Amino acid sequence: METISLVADKIGQIGPVPVTNTLLVSWIVSVFLIIISLIATRKVSLVPTPLQNFFEFIIDTGYAQVEDLSHDKAKVIFPLVMTFFLFIICANWIGLLPGFGTIGFRELKDGKEVFVPIFRSINADLNMTLALALVSAVATHVLAIKYLGIWDYLKRWVSLNPIFLFVGILEIISEFTKIISLSFRLFGNIFAGEVVLATVSSIFAFFVPLPFYFLELIVGFVQAAVFMMLTLVFIVLLTEKHGEEH
Amino acid sequence: MEILQSFGIQPLLLAAQIVNFLVLLFILKRFLYKPILKVLADRKEKIAESLKNAEEIEKRLLQIGIDREKKLKEASLEATKMLEDATKTGDQIIKESHNKAALDIKKLVEKAETQMKQDREKMNQEVKQHLADLLVLSFEKLADKVLSEKDQKEMIRKSIEEIKYD
Repeated sequence: METISLVADKIGQIGPVPVTNTLLVSWIVSVFLIIISLIATRKVSLVPTPLQNFFEFIIDTGYAQVEDLSHDKAKVIFPLVMTFFLFIICANWIGLLPGFGTIGFRELKDGKEVFVPIFRSINADLNMTLALALVSAVATHVLAIKYLGIWDYLKRWVSLNPIFLFVGILEIISEFTKIISLSFRLFGNIFAGEVVLATVSSIFAFFVPLPFYFLELIVGFVQAAVFMMLTLVFIVLLTEKHGEEH
Repeated sequence: MEILQSFGIQPLLLAAQIVNFLVLLFILKRFLYKPILKVLADRKEKIAESLKNAEEIEKRLLQIGIDREKKLKEASLEATKMLEDATKTGDQIIKESHNKAALDIKKLVEKAETQMKQDREKMNQEVKQHLADLLVLSFEKLADKVLSEKDQKEMIRKSIEEIKYD
């Protein structure tokens, strides 16, 4: 039985950037998404092709969701949260394909021979989820400044009133908590799924893992939706005027 | 930051993933969301327009139906009226012709009667003339043998007179 390491393995190097198996897969996912969306929108028409129809359904549903919560800001927020959703769900589901974690090579590390898979589900690497969480957090604050103005934005964190000053400090802490919770929630779910699948497969590789694969499909969708919704809610909360909340 | 180390966080990897994601975000925004959202909006607009058009067409159809009914009613009324008029006129014409015909017949009959009277009178005259001539002739033949010329003439004259005044 191969144990799954917490750390993604390095399989190459481009310039200064170490290419890990997760980085490789994230490129694959990106290219896949780009190609499929280019095909879907190559000839956009009022009478849609099946693929266009499929994306219309997803985007329409997502946009309705975003518009429900953010109203007039939907146009700006939508691309970000929709990309989170599409990227995460594709990453999670691609990570379930055969070959992930099983195709690889053996390498000497610290005097021991270890197995290095070429493909690894990208959200089972904290680098990826932390990157997503950071993008989410930075975008939240950038949008907050954009919609509130720098002055109103700062008023949320700093106040002359001691009580509100304390609340502001708590809020600053909560902002960091958000990043950690976003990244570790996604990482934990997907990594745990990988471990479960590997364990079950090592017990009996035929048929027995099927229910778990099904479970992972659901988890993959739910985590993508959760990440999208949380980012959306954070942005909406932060871009609202402070005074209106109380 | 030992915990980050144990999770294998590397700034370069982090940066690579962020850049990767941002590029994806940009491309998807440009090539997926924008055209799809546009086509969705277009379709929405088109459907709204079509619905509006359909409503208008329906309304117009209804109006046309009402108009037609109204026209039909009017035409039917007019036709009835015309028929009535025609019947009346026809009746009048027939009546007039009847009258005229009756008058004509009466006139004709009168005329024929007069003619007949005249003809009869004329015929009578002619017959009398013929009879007189015949008498004269027969008397001449008869008298030649019995009467003198003088008596003859006298008698003829008397007879003729008698016939004449008969």
